[in-house]
Parts: sequence; C-alpha cells; structure tokens
Amino acid sequence: MSPQTPPPHVESLTCPNCGAPLTVRSMGRAVTIVCDRCHSILDAKDPQLRILQRFEAATGDEVPLIPLGARGKWRGADYEAIGFQVRTMEVDGIAYSWREYLLFSPYKGFRYLTEYNGHWNDCSVATALPEADGTSARYLGKKYKHFQTCDAKTTYVLGEFPWQVAVNGDAVTVTDYIAPPYVLSSETDGSETTWTLGEYVHGADIWKAFGLPGPPPAPVGVYENQPSGLRVSAGQTWFAFAGLATAMFVIFTLNQLFSQREQVFQEAYRFSPSSTEASFVTPEFELKGRTSDLEVRTDADVSNRWIYLNYALIDEDTGRAYDFGREVSYYSGVDSDGSWQEGSRHDRVVLPSIPPGRYYLRVEPESDSSFGLIGYTVTVTRDVPVLTVYLVAFCALLLPALLISWRTYNFEQIRWAESDHPMRSIGSGGDE
Amino acid sequence: MTWNRFYLIYGVVLVLLVGAAAYRGWSFTSVNEVKNVPKSIRDNPGSYRAIYAGYHHYTGGK
Repeated sequence: MSPQTPPPHVESLTCPNCGAPLTVRSMGRAVTIVCDRCHSILDAKDPQLRILQRFEAATGDEVPLIPLGARGKWRGADYEAIGFQVRTMEVDGIAYSWREYLLFSPYKGFRYLTEYNGHWNDCSVATALPEADGTSARYLGKKYKHFQTCDAKTTYVLGEFPWQVAVNGDAVTVTDYIAPPYVLSSETDGSETTWTLGEYVHGADIWKAFGLPGPPPAPVGVYENQPSGLRVSAGQTWFAFAGLATAMFVIFTLNQLFSQREQVFQEAYRFSPSSTEASFVTPEFELKGRTSDLEVRTDADVSNRWIYLNYALIDEDTGRAYDFGREVSYYSGVDSDGSWQEGSRHDRVVLPSIPPGRYYLRVEPESDSSFGLIGYTVTVTRDVPVLTVYLVAFCALLLPALLISWRTYNFEQIRWAESDHPMRSIGSGGDE
Repeated sequence: MTWNRFYLIYGVVLVLLVGAAAYRGWSFTSVNEVKNVPKSIRDNPGSYRAIYAGYHHYTGGK
C-alpha cells in the first residue's frame, strides 16, 4: 500500500449467534454482515446485530478466490475485498453459478469483480440511466446488444454488504446487454432496477493487483463480453480489403492503359522434322526503355501434330541467355461422343524483367519425324500486362480476410450459443 | 499489434509489390538464366546446349 494511504478502519464485533469475531471494514457503510462461521446474516445497522437469516451452505463452504480482507491497487485506487456472494441461475434445469467479490475503497466507494468459469468482469454501478428496449440498450452513447435475460438468486454470502442480502430469497431478473469488452446489466426485483457496467478483465491482472498466490483459474469457453483474442474486427478487415483491392484495381487499370505492348520482332518459319540440324538464330532486335517483361508468342500450323521449340533469348552485349521451352500442339477428331479437340495452335509466354539491350533468339524446333513441314510464327512483344500477377495478389489479399472472418464468426458463434439469440451455424439444418 | 493493423500493413506491402511487378515486368514464368553465352552461337546455333532439350512431349490426342 502506498505511504499516503491511511490504514484501513477495522471494527471488531462478535456474532450474537455463535460468538465468533466479526470484522467490519466498510467504515459504517455495511447494511448486512455475514458470520463466516455460522452463516448468520446480521443487520449491521442494528447495535445488537439482529440476526436476519441463517443459511446452510448447500454444497459446503465456497472458498473465495480473492480472500476477504485482501487489499490491492485496482484502477488507480486502493481497494479491499469485503464481501463475497455466489449467485445462481437455472436454465433448462441446469444451475449456473457465478461469484461476485465486493471491493471497497474509502475514497472511491464500492465496485465488484465477478467471475464465471475463469472469466472476470470489473463492475460498477452505472452513472446514468441507460435506455433499453429489450433488444438493445444505449448507455453514454454506446449501443449494447441484448444477450440474455434470466432469474438469479443469491445462494451463498460472506463478509459485509452495503445492501440487504438474503440467501435463496426472492429471485431477481438479470438482463445482460453486451458490447465487448463491456456488459451492461440490469437487475430488477419488481420494485427497483439497478444498472451496472462491467468490463472484461484478465484474471492475471487481478492476481497481480491483489498479490494473490498461484495462477488464476484458466478461462473456459467464450464469455458473453469477452473480446476476441485476435482483437480483430471483421468489418474493419473487409473495409481495409475494399480499399486495398481498389488500389490494386487502379494499378491494374493504369498498367492496362500505359503498357506499351511494343512488338519488337516477328518472323514466320517453316520446320521440317526430318532435317538434321534445325537450330537457328533470329535477326537482332532491340529492347528499349526500362526493364520490363517480354512476351514470346508462337503460332504454329499444327493439326493432330505437335511442335516443341527450345528457345534462348540471348543478350548480344552481355552474353546472358534466358532459356525456356514451349510446346504447341493441337488435336481434334470425331468419335462416338461427337467432335472433340484438345490443345491450341497458339502459345504465349511472358518472360519476367528483361533489361533493355540488343537481343536475338536462338530457336531449336523439335517434332515427330513422321510429320511433314510445320509452319510457325514467332512474335516478340515487350511490356505487356500480366493478369496472373493481379489474380495471385488478389487471392493473397482475399485469403487472410476470409480467415479473419471465419475466425471471428466462429468466436461469435460460440459466444452467442450461450445467449437468448444463438447464431445459426453455417450448414446447419433448420430441423435442429 | 492488432490483426486489423497487421492485415492493413500486409495488404499495403502486397499492393506495393503489385505496383513494382507492373513497373518492372515481374511474372511467374520460370526461366533459366545462363551467363556468358559465347558469341559464336550466332555462327553456330547448334553448339548451344538448350536446357529444355529432351523434353517429353505430349503425343496423344483423345
């Protein structure tokens, strides 16, 4: 505790039922005190500590994870754990219990921490009246979606409380509205409605603040206002995707508009497969301008035949060669299924990043020696747009967005499965 | 760093790469580069040993 913090004011009393010592920590603000030995709920405002109720713990004593009297610095102020209660609701015959720890600061007043299955919330009473219509609520300009409405009872208490507690007394209706990491809860007992605002917090932060031994219990499942571990918004991701895809489309359009598509060479040849030496070199051609791609197109007069061309694009000045091979084949016919065709008489390949310079092609055609003369034309064009680059980039952009959406959807589906409005899973039938 | 920011940075890098690919003429074609090809190839094209020689061609049809 910091040096300027005064020592906590502790008042000692004894239980009128069992004589056990009682400790009062909330400086006269307690309305009820619970004896932790005999479970008597006492009226703290009565000088005689009148017994309001005695209860038996149904399943033995609950042990608070934050011991009463534990002190720590939380949200910038010194707090002490002074009360503990277990609250239980029943859904489809199954009881679900969560734990609430009442914290008190002489300067900041009361707040409490709730815990369910290792999930923690830091809660305080709402400072303004929220507007709720059953499906959503609005509080301080923020919209919260309705999550769940249930009836809950207090089933166990320890310590002191600034309100009157009763174990297994009248049920209150609890309605939760969420906007992760926040939860806005209303509790209605028929005559009065109390609104509290909770914020999801990590158990490790509480353990650190209160100096608790060991690790906090590990969270199980997804809690109603638990923020996604990815801290990601599918909407924002798709917004970013739209912007990036548009930028990509702009580049594509500019590339289409300003690509020079400059034909630098074209020549028609005839190849006799039976010839012994087929390789030859083309006349020189010049590539001007910046480094760019180069399209080599082969149009061959093949029908039920093939021709394979070993190409080498050779830089006259540097002696650097770019080797590649292309096949042109085309087959067609008629059978019992009708006419068919395979292959193409045209082939196109785009060589990447060819620097400017003086070049020639070394061409070595091959084919079946039984074939006759094959005519073909070689056309070389520099600076052509390549669609596959955009398709691959678009897929690379799309894939993470889909994965993020899928992950977010799954997380939300698990979250809302516990609500009054479960999401329908993809592919699930309507008969479930 | 949130995944949204990570995705945005990833996407911007991708767009820049696409721009560079468009400007520099990158493509996915696999081409083998051979350095210091002798100038004698001009006079004797058959002396060049093409990397793709011996490729097994499709000889079928339906």
